[in-house]
Amino acid sequence: MANKFKINRTNLSLWKGIAMVAGTFSFVICMLVLVNYIQINRIDPVNTEVINSLVNRLNENPNDVQLREQIREMDLLVRKAYFTNQWQVKAGGYLFLFGIIVTAIALQLFYAGKQQLPQVSEEEEENIILFREKARKWIVIGGFGMVGITLLFAFLTHKELGNQFTEAATIAKAKHAETKQTNITIVAKEEITEPVVEEKVVEEALKEEIVVPVAEEEKVVVEEAKTSSYKGTYPSKEMMANFPSFRGPGGNAIAYQKNIPIEWDGASGKNILWKQPVPIHAYNSPVIWGNKLFLSGASAASREVYCYDRNNGKLLWTAKAEQIAGSPANPPEVTPDTGHSASTVTTDGNLVFAIFSNGDLIAVDMSGKKQWAKNLGVPDNHYGHSSSLIVFEDKLIVQYDQKKNSKVMALSTSSGEEVWSTARKVKVSWASPVIVQNGDQVEILLAADPCIASYDAQTGKELWKIDCITGEVGPSVAYANGIVFALNEYASLVAIKPGAKPEILWEAYDYLSDVPSPIAYNDLLFVVTSYGAVACYNAKAGEILWEKEFDGGFYASPILADGKIYLMDRKGVMHIFKADKEYVELAPSSLGEKSDASPAFADGRVYIRGDKNLYCIGK
Amino acid sequence: MKKSLAFISLLIFFVGMEFAAFSQQQRFPKPEFESGYTQPVTSMPVPSNGMFALLDVLVLIAALSLITWFILKKRSRTGVIAVSIFSILYFGFFREGCVCSVGSVQNVVLALFNPGYHIPLSALAFFVIPLVYTLFFGRTFCAGVCPLGAVQDVFLMRPVTLKKWLQKALGLIPYIYLGLSVLYAATATDFIICRYDPFVGIFRFNATFFMYAIGAAFLLISIFIARPYCRFFCPYGVILNLVSRVSKNHLTITPSNCIQCKLCESSCPLDAINKPVGVKQMEDKRSATRRFILLGLIIPALMIVGGWTGANFHENLAKVNSKVRLADEMLHFDSKTMEESLEIVGFRTSGKPVKQLYQEASEIVKQFYYGGWILGAFIGLVIGLALSGLSTYRYREDYTPDKGGCVSCARCLKYCPVEK
Repeated sequence: MANKFKINRTNLSLWKGIAMVAGTFSFVICMLVLVNYIQINRIDPVNTEVINSLVNRLNENPNDVQLREQIREMDLLVRKAYFTNQWQVKAGGYLFLFGIIVTAIALQLFYAGKQQLPQVSEEEEENIILFREKARKWIVIGGFGMVGITLLFAFLTHKELGNQFTEAATIAKAKHAETKQTNITIVAKEEITEPVVEEKVVEEALKEEIVVPVAEEEKVVVEEAKTSSYKGTYPSKEMMANFPSFRGPGGNAIAYQKNIPIEWDGASGKNILWKQPVPIHAYNSPVIWGNKLFLSGASAASREVYCYDRNNGKLLWTAKAEQIAGSPANPPEVTPDTGHSASTVTTDGNLVFAIFSNGDLIAVDMSGKKQWAKNLGVPDNHYGHSSSLIVFEDKLIVQYDQKKNSKVMALSTSSGEEVWSTARKVKVSWASPVIVQNGDQVEILLAADPCIASYDAQTGKELWKIDCITGEVGPSVAYANGIVFALNEYASLVAIKPGAKPEILWEAYDYLSDVPSPIAYNDLLFVVTSYGAVACYNAKAGEILWEKEFDGGFYASPILADGKIYLMDRKGVMHIFKADKEYVELAPSSLGEKSDASPAFADGRVYIRGDKNLYCIGK
Repeated sequence: MKKSLAFISLLIFFVGMEFAAFSQQQRFPKPEFESGYTQPVTSMPVPSNGMFALLDVLVLIAALSLITWFILKKRSRTGVIAVSIFSILYFGFFREGCVCSVGSVQNVVLALFNPGYHIPLSALAFFVIPLVYTLFFGRTFCAGVCPLGAVQDVFLMRPVTLKKWLQKALGLIPYIYLGLSVLYAATATDFIICRYDPFVGIFRFNATFFMYAIGAAFLLISIFIARPYCRFFCPYGVILNLVSRVSKNHLTITPSNCIQCKLCESSCPLDAINKPVGVKQMEDKRSATRRFILLGLIIPALMIVGGWTGANFHENLAKVNSKVRLADEMLHFDSKTMEESLEIVGFRTSGKPVKQLYQEASEIVKQFYYGGWILGAFIGLVIGLALSGLSTYRYREDYTPDKGGCVSCARCLKYCPVEK
């Protein structure tokens, strides 16, 4: 018992002294660290007044080498000071901690030495009843106070946050919509100055006016990626005389027809040659071959391809995509703004090809008879598949970018057999393939998060790719003069010099699109946004030449024809303006019904798919 | 004295090692390139070695066993101090306060509410093992194995006894903190216990100025008020408190029979010693029973009021969630008058569609609405039970530890003159 209450006497004055010295040391260090910390927070090493003024001087006199050196030295000095301060704070922290620990130990030992034997408390017995009463009182007061303050805050800051988000999601969803049927084309012959529709004229125009970009200084550098040589010309003369796929031949948004009307009015019937209802609504656009115009439509229960006589609007035949082996019993879920048939059909003049949201792919001949059909597997796509089809010679090119196992493939146009298939490490995409000829090579250009990639159209071999795009990519690429242009909302607009080692020439963030695709023409790039802004860029330098706001908003991709850009807004008004460095409006012409489809052109006529009807416009 | 010197030497060694390593990093500042070279992106550190997780669990078991032996068998305060210092050095400075049992509550909750989250076995072990020890031996974990408790304990020098009613009232805060941390973990919003851990920044030499200040404030308060974080904030302490109440072999002040010498009466800095309660000190049984029944009956009403309050407050609770905050910011962003914040820029570059963000945010707000009801009802229940609990009296003859509140620090043991 004597040992139990033994108190270890320590050298009180020693520990008191140590505690005082260590405590003072800790306090001083703490103050120094605080001052340093405040100093660090006040200084921005990359934005100092002195350097900024020197930089301004340098801007006025860019050739002043001495000044440049002075700025560099000053910059280094400021950075060094900043990092030294940081180092001091951290080192001071360690010293402070050390001082505090020594102080704590010294104080503990000091107080241990001052310990006294336990004593019986002489305080009065605790009044339990009173303590409990007080505790209850303060718990009640605290509880009420908490409820009061909480409710006050709740009512002052209440703003139906959940409902606001739900509404915002609905609006954003509607905005995103439909078109993901974007597309792309890259007509290698960008310098072609719109050959005339009539075949004979086209031939001459090709001979005389087509400038093959390979011959130019800024030719596309894909030589290193040579895999197979292509002797022909893409797009072919026939393709150029027609409008065989989404955004025209090759999908580069350039039509080669002339004498296209710019004025019409759906309400009064002015220049409306005919108008025909389309049986099933869809967001795809018309394509034309010869005298026939093709469209598709689909609902959850039915998938159809339509052929119209483009001269009189008569529905010539309807081909149903049914009884296809491997087709799922239930269609996949799609959003209303994408639908079951967002992909535009394509044709090679012999067969018409259509793809639907459930992966059904059908080929019918020009009289509507099914030639072959297959199911590619239901695409894992949360809005619905929308990449359009395109033909390269005897191959039907299918961009099948989905959540897993994305790929691009070429199917035999005659049998549907797979000719080649290339796996792609990309996320879901709603953009469409664009085909462009670069010298002796024909490239398929595809856009999907995270890259723009090029594939040899003959073999499917990946020629090049560059990581430069993110998000849910809707817009297809555009191509002109050896430069590929790609963009997506919340990502950026990039100009890419293609080749074995592709480079980003310039990048911009001002106008980005989530649905409509851009047009590249000569040295100009036209970017259309879904919220209604249109901008024209210098395609080589990336500077904005003009910008214009429209009210309706755009989902349809613009098409260039006869030096004019035809841009359909969501209300059904076609905005027509010159493809020029300055904005010159030619006409706004109203269809009289909503439309999100891109127009097709033939024989001096415009064909537009409205919400419910198909229109032929001409003089 | 020798022990103290040895300890200081060890400390200097540890700090010196860190200091040398840090100084080496500073010798070579990053060069500046003129060629357009961009600095590589900072990569995340590789996950800690699985061996360390196993070692942590083994050390936890060893430390718990040792401290329990010191407390129950050796009845040694010195042993508790030794284990405390070891825990501060190992679990605190060396393992940088992670994984810790206090924070593991959130891992368990997240795993329960999110099937996609696989709880690390070490986190589960850190949650369960102290509970098992507490069930059998009382809060020996709190005594000196938890680095948060240990660091406060070593700073305690001039303990001041708080008024009992104040202790009771403040003692409800940990329940609220537990409720909030469960809500935020269940909604995968944040691990608030870790984020606002006042000591982890000190252990890591890395925290915001605000958190350093909070940590320093707690340590300063610890000089006078024993373990302020453990008693008035620790959410894990709530669970341990409840489990410890039914512990079989809890520490006893006296090794034999209490002789009511009163020597231990003021020995506990946590005021966790139950004093004898005589019949005379108790309230009239009839009025106490009537109040107890009345307060028991209003518990459902308190739960409804609490739930309704929590539900009304759900938007503010939800704004802690980064997705909700971002969606709110995006919703009210005006490009004409405002500049994009880093969060908005980051979101835009991620390429994620804005509608998805809104949908997710809306869903999270809904979760917080229901969570607000549950949290409020829980707080109402706790207040109700605390009020009715304050209307019960138990006859007691001896000085005994308050099994729930006692952290088994063993300070009281040497005050008892009774030998075995």
